[in-house]
Amino acid sequence: MFYLKAHAAIFKAYLKIMLTYRGMMLLHMFRVVLMPLVIATAWLSIEKVDSNPYKNSDYLLYYLLVPLVMNLTNSRSVFKFPVSVRDGTLSRELIKPYPPLMSIVIESFSNNLQMLLYLVPFTLICTFLFQSHLDFSFLSFKFFPIFILAVFFGALLRMFISGSIALTGFWLEDVTTLNLLLNGSIWALLGGMIIPVATFPEKIRHIAELLPYRYMLSFPIEIFSGKLTNAAIYKGFSVMLFWTIVFYFTARFIWKRGIKIYSAYGG
Amino acid sequence: MKISTPNCDNCVFTEELGRDFNIRQKSQGLAASIRNFIHPSYKLVEAVKSLSMKIGSGEIVGFLGPNGAGKTTTLKMLSGLLFPSRGKVEVLGYSPFSREREFLSQISLVMGQKQNLWWDLPPVETFEIHRSIYKLDEKDFKERINELIDMLEISDCLETQTRKLSLGQRMRCELAVSLLHRPKVLFLDEPTIGLDILMQKKIRKFLLEYHARFKPTILLTSHYMDDVAALAKRVIVINNGLKIYDGLLSDLSEKMQPEKIITVILNSDTFPKIEIPNVTPVSQEGNLFRLKAPREIVGKLAASLYNTGLTIDLTIEDTPLEDIIGNLFTENSDFLKFRKNL
Repeated sequence: MFYLKAHAAIFKAYLKIMLTYRGMMLLHMFRVVLMPLVIATAWLSIEKVDSNPYKNSDYLLYYLLVPLVMNLTNSRSVFKFPVSVRDGTLSRELIKPYPPLMSIVIESFSNNLQMLLYLVPFTLICTFLFQSHLDFSFLSFKFFPIFILAVFFGALLRMFISGSIALTGFWLEDVTTLNLLLNGSIWALLGGMIIPVATFPEKIRHIAELLPYRYMLSFPIEIFSGKLTNAAIYKGFSVMLFWTIVFYFTARFIWKRGIKIYSAYGG
Repeated sequence: MKISTPNCDNCVFTEELGRDFNIRQKSQGLAASIRNFIHPSYKLVEAVKSLSMKIGSGEIVGFLGPNGAGKTTTLKMLSGLLFPSRGKVEVLGYSPFSREREFLSQISLVMGQKQNLWWDLPPVETFEIHRSIYKLDEKDFKERINELIDMLEISDCLETQTRKLSLGQRMRCELAVSLLHRPKVLFLDEPTIGLDILMQKKIRKFLLEYHARFKPTILLTSHYMDDVAALAKRVIVINNGLKIYDGLLSDLSEKMQPEKIITVILNSDTFPKIEIPNVTPVSQEGNLFRLKAPREIVGKLAASLYNTGLTIDLTIEDTPLEDIIGNLFTENSDFLKFRKNL
């Protein structure tokens, strides 16, 4: 690939930087696992109604996977890009013969990969500790490659959604509120962070299945847990692909408009 | 895609180039804040009004002007960072804002000392990343980096985290990384700002050596006139987004200040009578006298003063460049008269 060596060099550079700040990584890990742990505890402590398709063992498996999938589909561009517009560091990227946003994407990717250093052992230890409460009878290794593919597209989708929000930083001083609104609260609710999407009332579940949020968290876990039929997987991938394309073009559109009004302050 | 250049000898070409900024306005006070919240008001600022210039390949041009004149905005448009509001701009035959790989591989912009270096990594790591981005082969890279390390004397700071380097070290490393791909066009925005005199001299010396060897086109802005005097023969002066002078620095100096300053120490407190017209006294401190005289009669005046037998010491100076440039921007300056004669 045209930029492969440059991508690799930048990826290695970010790994080196992040390894310099090990304490920060550990704090991030706590941030990622804390919320799912609290929510899992809440769900496990309440009594389930008969119509709820999830048993305690399903909730436990679901919330064991939430930190992992959440981390793998995470995108930090929404925090990084607006800062680079405000302080002018975007200029550094624009002056090089290299895709200007790629550095932010690679930084996010390397960050997610490094978090696995903490998250994988954490998940394995928890699985070992709670193995007697877990039900693995649904698990099938034939779903594993599909799970990986779903995580990949989920990450891509989140990158374009976060990217579209981040790029509004050309106009907005602070995109945090917009991000919290579109990519935080709604994502946590309809993406399956607070409540697994499969346990929503039917009408809300149908809406959630048509919106992009489910595909960045709940959908890959549902595949991994063997909770979805082949038809549901095909439908899920179709919706996910649709939103990925929509947000790819949205991000491109915003970029093309925004770069023309970029003021390159901070030189 | 390379565009057809009207004059292929021009490395940098602009025609009526301009850039506006819409700046949000807000008066003082809570009431003004509320009014502004309901009806935000904006002011259109023409940072660069209309700038036409041609710079040939291998030239070093000083780009001068007071703060807010539009120098940095122009450099940003020339390097493709800013989209021009109007006019035409070509650098090496490319339209900079298209940001084509071939174009970006041939230019460099040095703006302060945080432009290219990775802040959390030592410079040696930035060099390696730069090598990958600019696709330099191993042999070329080693040759170039060793050459730059020698010329800039940075061998002792290559493995220290950039954020922990001194300003001078960072600036020299910044120059090294900016020149690693041997750009054909180099935009330097205040390359010596904040540096001590010794470091400023080192940077100037390096730039002169580098230019002599590789002949890049250099467009330089600096508030230190010594930088400009040492590096550039030609200067372009802009003010309020408009070009007010484009020519040789020596011409500017001669035409703006046709007089020289003569400082003479005599063995007497009384100045002797000299029959030379157009000599103007400037000041007297005891036996030290300062005079102003037209350039063409300075030699005759000096000879006359020596012939009196009273002269202990005599020096002839040009008006400092800072004063000449400063005079360009003051109201009712001599420059206004000078421009009429251009």
